Amino acid sequence: MVKLDLERLKGLRAELKDKNKGDYIKVGMSTCGIAAGADKVYELFKEEIEKRGLPISLEKCGCLGMCFAEPLVEVGMAGAPVVIYGRVNTSVAHRIIDEHLCCGRIVSDHVYELRRS
Amino acid sequence: MGNMYKKIVFIKDTNAGKADLTRHYASLFAKYAKPFIEDMQLYVVRAADLGIYGKGMVVKIWPQNIYYASVKEEDIPEIIEASVKNEGVVDRLLYRPSDKQMRIVLRNCGVIDPESIDEYIAKDGYGGLERVLSGMSAEDVIEEIKKSGLRGRGGGGFPTWMKWNFARSVSSDEKYIICNADEGDPGAYMDRSVLEGDPHSVIEGMIIAGYAVGASKGFFYIRAEYPLAIERVKQAIDQAYEYGLLGENILGTGFSFDIEIRLGAGAFVCGEETALIASIEGKRGTPRPRPPYPSVKGLWDRPTVINNVETLANVPFILLKGGDWFASIGTENSKGTKVFALTGKVKNSGLIEVPMGTTLREIVFDIGGGVIGDKKIKAVQTGGPSGGVIPEHLLDTPVDYENLQRLGSIMGSGGMIVMSEDDCMVDISKFYLKFCVDESCGKCAPCRIGGYQMLNILNKITNGEGEERDLENISLIARAMQRASLCGLGQTAPNPVVSTMKFFEEEYRQHIFDKKCPSGKCKRLIHYEIVQEKCVRCGMCYINCPVEAITGSKAKGFVIHQDLCIKCGKCYEVCKFGAVILK
Repeated sequence: MVKLDLERLKGLRAELKDKNKGDYIKVGMSTCGIAAGADKVYELFKEEIEKRGLPISLEKCGCLGMCFAEPLVEVGMAGAPVVIYGRVNTSVAHRIIDEHLCCGRIVSDHVYELRRS
Repeated sequence: MGNMYKKIVFIKDTNAGKADLTRHYASLFAKYAKPFIEDMQLYVVRAADLGIYGKGMVVKIWPQNIYYASVKEEDIPEIIEASVKNEGVVDRLLYRPSDKQMRIVLRNCGVIDPESIDEYIAKDGYGGLERVLSGMSAEDVIEEIKKSGLRGRGGGGFPTWMKWNFARSVSSDEKYIICNADEGDPGAYMDRSVLEGDPHSVIEGMIIAGYAVGASKGFFYIRAEYPLAIERVKQAIDQAYEYGLLGENILGTGFSFDIEIRLGAGAFVCGEETALIASIEGKRGTPRPRPPYPSVKGLWDRPTVINNVETLANVPFILLKGGDWFASIGTENSKGTKVFALTGKVKNSGLIEVPMGTTLREIVFDIGGGVIGDKKIKAVQTGGPSGGVIPEHLLDTPVDYENLQRLGSIMGSGGMIVMSEDDCMVDISKFYLKFCVDESCGKCAPCRIGGYQMLNILNKITNGEGEERDLENISLIARAMQRASLCGLGQTAPNPVVSTMKFFEEEYRQHIFDKKCPSGKCKRLIHYEIVQEKCVRCGMCYINCPVEAITGSKAKGFVIHQDLCIKCGKCYEVCKFGAVILK
């Protein structure tokens, strides 16, 4: 790894900001999420995305703050609103894959909106 | 793949206390919007939570992102015509939800991958450090922090710039920065979430602090009970070394800084700064008298700055956005935001971050969604075992350091526990005092003996053996502990008791004189009875009693034998006819 200096840090940041991330799923993998079963959900997404060859990137993230609704999963896809799903167990995760990822239909009863500025 | 719908409607019934009619409203909407749904133009979603409470039926329309509140069935066709078919708005129903939360410390938590330094950098990470090392002097950095008005988020609320300035002005061959991540208050987990969700922001804060005070070495003091936080911080430190953001000659500017991790073995008192220092030095974790303060004589007798996780996570953002910007948020003497762990009898428990000056009522009802089971709120406890309770009639107080202190509580590290009418205040104060008695290191007598004796008195009261002089004795012991204890643990341990006695004296008196616990928590002061007139002799209580304290038959009726009853309350819960009563 090349050590950064001030110029290279600036360059790297600009380069990283430009990177278009495309469609993604994020699973909240802090202690609160994992305690509620986020690791199982993460594994399931990983398996299914590989198996079906979906063009979507799977990421981990920290705690969003809505601990009452863990495990939390965020889905961002082009041409659709970013949705945060809460209380996602493996069966809800299956529905997210079948309905949201494949057909663009958001899964009812699990959408949570976070009010923050 | 992708989305084919032009419009998406989110529907949620936000009225608390009644049956949830979301499903009903969604089907109504679908009925009126049928042609659009069949054309695959519109998709209707039942939301679980829109972050809006008590506003009737709320409809959100994407992609305009407009909200309608208190929508009635007859309004639905109008909404469809205006906002689904066209791009218009129905003004009379329009609702603009206010975002009470503001995220500075939690800006990246849940947004970036905490295991990737690149994602942090892409979110302007290490931009604060970059600015500092691009020509700011150490004095400039301290001046910027001074302008921001940042105060310690660990409990005391001491101005951060002053701490840094003290350490800077002492000359020494070595100085240290310590990040205090020994979070131990019951119900508080802000620091854990920041370390797990955005470890680089704390590391960046430490490097900047090191530059400002002239230190070249930093320590993370993390409690061993946080294995995931430790793992992520370790990984983040390694990544920072690889990029040359830590180590020798950081970013080619000649400044050097190293960070090491030290694990705490789970003693609450080690969150106290002098005990923490002793623990890092390999000694027994007990406090020592101050002064000298650690910023003058700390770790290995060198000037040492100890900042809490949340304080340090604020630092990079202040340097990036400027001290004036930070000072524009909050109240006169408390700037910026505060993260709280909202727990207890609140519907939406979790981590929240609000600007200083937000009222407790806004936090509990607008962000927390109200009390579980729509019970009446009794009080909010802040500051953990060093804090106090704030009763219902004072919930409109804006939260800042001074206001909470005036009410006999403290900001503390940020635990916030909501209590409903089911909670007994004597029981609560006993819980917190027991915590401090267990965690007392035993070095000084006021804390060791005072805490123990006070707990004995409280136990007496909840057992129905209270006497009139007990209240006076509690106050006496509390004063002695507050004045004579060696460290913050003992000085603040009586706070929950003193504060509940101040606001809920009547409840203490009921325990002592009437031998009654109005909330039904103190088992020795309550008993259950079956009212024969109301009893339908279904036998549910009989079946559910775990200790067979209920005898009788469906023919003869049932009675509770008080000598056998363990007061678990099971019979009270299962009786559908209100025949089991609590006395």
